[in-house]
Amino acid sequence: MRIWQALLALVVATGLARPAGADSTQGITDTTITIGNLGPFSGSASVFTPLNYGPEAYLRYINSQGGVNGRKFVTVFADSSCNEAKGIAAAKKLVSEDKVFMIMGNPCSGVAMAIKPMLVQEGVPWMGSSANPKISTPASPGIFHAVYPGSEAGRAMATFALSKPGTTKFALAMHSDDWAHGYCDAATDYIKAHGGEIVATTVMEHGATDGTAQALQIKASGAQAVMGCLYQPELVVLLRELQKYQVGAITVGALGADFNQVVAAFPNRDWLKQHFFQPYQFQAKIGTGPLKKFHDIFVKYLTKDELPKDGVPTNFYYYGVPVAIVAVEAFRRAGPHPTRESWEKAIESLKDFDTGVLADTETFGPDNHVGVHKMYAVGLDAQGQETVYKAWGDPLPNAE
Amino acid sequence: MMLLSLLPQLVVSGISTGMLYALIALSMTVVYRATTVVNFGHGDMVAAGAYASFVFGVGFGLPFLVAMALALAVLFLGGFAVQRFLMQPIIAAPHLSLAMMALAVGYTLRGGMRLEWGNETINLPRPYPQDVYMLGDVVITTDDLVICGFVILLLAALFVLLQVTPLGKVIQATFQSQRGAALVGINVPAFHAAMWGGGAALGAIGGIMLAMITPLTPDLGQWTLVQGFAAMTLGGFGSLGGAVAGGILLGVTEKLLGFYVNTMFIEITGYLVPIIVLLLRPQGLFGRRTIVRV
Amino acid sequence: MVIGRRWFWLIPLGLLPVPLLLNPYQQYVLNTALLYVPVGIGFNLVVGNLGLLAFSNVAYFGLGAYTSGIMMATLGAPWWLTIVPAAIVGGLAGSLASIPALRGVRLFYLAIMTLAFGELMRWTYIRWESLTGGSMGMAVPTAHLFGWALDSDARKFFVFLALVVVIVIGTDKLLRSRFGRAFQAIKDNEVAAAAMGIPTDRYIVLAFAWGGAVVGIGGAMFAISVGHLSPASFDMTELILQFAIIMVGGLGSLMGSIIGAVIITIAPQVFISFPGFAELVFGLLIILVILFLPRGLASLVARVHPMFVERYYRG
Repeated sequence: MRIWQALLALVVATGLARPAGADSTQGITDTTITIGNLGPFSGSASVFTPLNYGPEAYLRYINSQGGVNGRKFVTVFADSSCNEAKGIAAAKKLVSEDKVFMIMGNPCSGVAMAIKPMLVQEGVPWMGSSANPKISTPASPGIFHAVYPGSEAGRAMATFALSKPGTTKFALAMHSDDWAHGYCDAATDYIKAHGGEIVATTVMEHGATDGTAQALQIKASGAQAVMGCLYQPELVVLLRELQKYQVGAITVGALGADFNQVVAAFPNRDWLKQHFFQPYQFQAKIGTGPLKKFHDIFVKYLTKDELPKDGVPTNFYYYGVPVAIVAVEAFRRAGPHPTRESWEKAIESLKDFDTGVLADTETFGPDNHVGVHKMYAVGLDAQGQETVYKAWGDPLPNAE
Repeated sequence: MMLLSLLPQLVVSGISTGMLYALIALSMTVVYRATTVVNFGHGDMVAAGAYASFVFGVGFGLPFLVAMALALAVLFLGGFAVQRFLMQPIIAAPHLSLAMMALAVGYTLRGGMRLEWGNETINLPRPYPQDVYMLGDVVITTDDLVICGFVILLLAALFVLLQVTPLGKVIQATFQSQRGAALVGINVPAFHAAMWGGGAALGAIGGIMLAMITPLTPDLGQWTLVQGFAAMTLGGFGSLGGAVAGGILLGVTEKLLGFYVNTMFIEITGYLVPIIVLLLRPQGLFGRRTIVRV
Repeated sequence: MVIGRRWFWLIPLGLLPVPLLLNPYQQYVLNTALLYVPVGIGFNLVVGNLGLLAFSNVAYFGLGAYTSGIMMATLGAPWWLTIVPAAIVGGLAGSLASIPALRGVRLFYLAIMTLAFGELMRWTYIRWESLTGGSMGMAVPTAHLFGWALDSDARKFFVFLALVVVIVIGTDKLLRSRFGRAFQAIKDNEVAAAAMGIPTDRYIVLAFAWGGAVVGIGGAMFAISVGHLSPASFDMTELILQFAIIMVGGLGSLMGSIIGAVIITIAPQVFISFPGFAELVFGLLIILVILFLPRGLASLVARVHPMFVERYYRG
């Protein structure tokens, strides 16, 4: 009977034990700061891993400059496979075993939402690039969006389309997942609030190879602009169908596609000119002007496997970088003895901080954990040149 | 939105897509007729065919037809090897093991493709100019013409092969009765392996065509597998002509449902069709009722 | 299992103090392994013991998870109260899936139909947004057991362990009873079984229903372990995972379901830090198992000692 009593006592003891939250200097030693980089390194979402490699390149660059306040960054990668169950396991491993200070990267919204309660309970900060706006609004302690949530990008898509004179009828072409809703729901709200109407809603599934029905519905509806909340392959398919049926509407894609790669899929660009646009996250064309510095950082600090086959960093690398830039700046401001709380306060103190990458400057506050809002748009001008626009017909002056 | 004026366009488009489904279904039927195994990994072989063509065409810079021929050869050998070394040894195992093996092979193949090309989206360049033709109000692109033309040519070639050539007679004989074929001296195991190779090669053609009209990713095969099943079921499992008919019918139905009802139905047409068909008329349109021997 | 009742209890009892040794990550992985045991058992019952190719397992899993989650979120029901409804919904779905089987659909036709059924359910989770939160997914509130908050992985572990023990014992009893013998007879030769007077239809439905119910309970466990449900969790990749569980473990073996669940959950953790090869190695593993260990790991264990031989599993 003694054994039974002992075991019962054990169960009670374990059951009563409250899980201790991560302490406020977890991941910070005198010489290192450990960062957990969570991403879909396997599975079909692995095309988004440049969003994880971008910030990593920046951290390596900072390390080469001596780190921050005498501390260098150590990164532990973990694979979520864009699957909630795996993502939680990976996040728990990072927090409980690798004892990271924060989670960075995490492009997958489903995973982000799934790990958020655990992160908040354990007090582990998060700065990722996933699109779901619910992650950071309303503000939760430690959860920051240093890049545009889908809602901001969706609004930017709608804003740009509305800036074309005479545009009032909109069509939606979207996936049925949370990512697409993040963009298209925000776009829809903005459109309706500004006098536009949605005349067609079409759905495309991941992996769809044909968009005839969608394109014809859009054409029949008389829509003047299409909000394309689609990943890259499906966006290309839709654009081809729209081109085939000579649909006059302009299409604004979402941030799940790389502008240059989409354009590259069309040997004949004529139709794309003045027909295809995307919200643009950056201050200048990638690799030029202020962004040239980052091109060099990526090329120098990323390995061959982490870069694309042709060695040229694409849009997503640049889009991943700001989370690292803001995180590092917060460490600078937090001083020689940073804690989780002082780091979070440092982020919340950022006002009009220019990352040198994004179109908007970062501004946070205790109740505002989304740093950037304003975006540009990108498209091909009449000569077929990639141009960044502030609004329809209003290009940014060319920076070299 | 009953815009009947668009009906011809939808039908034409549906036939074009349906031809691709027909090709996929055909390649799966060849495998099924020969070995009574449904290759759950077929979709990934389709994608592999496209990648092979990419490697030869863009990687090595070979002309399109040469690259395609090489890709077909590679996939033929691959299919042959899979049957010979992975399926044949377990031929007596319960059907689940066979299904799982095929699935696992496909899964592994996909993992390999993702390792190599996972971070990129590849567009297979078309060897023909992209033009648009108008037939009344109906838009037809060179893509449509090439796909339909190619598949029809292929079907004609297959028909000739099966009905006219001695090899075709061997194939038909073994389809009808394996034991009889063996008695007559046909090397049935080699036949099985060759049919898997043939099915893989046919699937590769489908993959190459698909990769010309949509961006190529390692997951290209997943979608095609479902459509292939649906087409096979609709046309009648094991019927070559049925696979083609089923594919075309499926393509048209998808378009019509998608436009006239709701685009969200396009995805599940592929799932609903097998259920409905198997419940109402299990032998599909052209299949034969199978009798289970005790 | 033919293991004497007393010996069997060593396992769950031995596991009781384990939470003391594990960090939250390891505990979560163990919980995941535990919740996949009933999933494997349910799947194995139809595919392994009954011998029918029913690929609709993920449908029961998802339905059980959503039933539990929706009841907790919208009705405010405590988790323990949702277990039975999850089982019922799973069981009903299983019975539904058995209809084609009753009409004589077999082999690959059955496989494709049940596969399509599973995917249709996933489509439903996405479309029925008002109920399921659609593709955004839904958050599952913290579970409570008669007022005791299950807010740590260790606490969930004890509850999961208890549930799993009940399910294992229940299924073992089922398999060793005349029902289990009937399943075996149907698997060996269905027509002969019917000729002998076994009401095959009834037993087929029973097997499907029990399997569905058990998997549904696994789904309810999944709901509170992961805490967030989205349709993407119940796709083809999940089905392949569940296949791997029963194939690696051993078709038709209860012990195999347990072994398979543990291995398939814990082994991939290795790849968290070396993700590139995950798909490749996983696929190769299944190929190797099918080639060289077709009866699964349970057959290896059975060879160790006659004590481990299960009468209904001719390993």
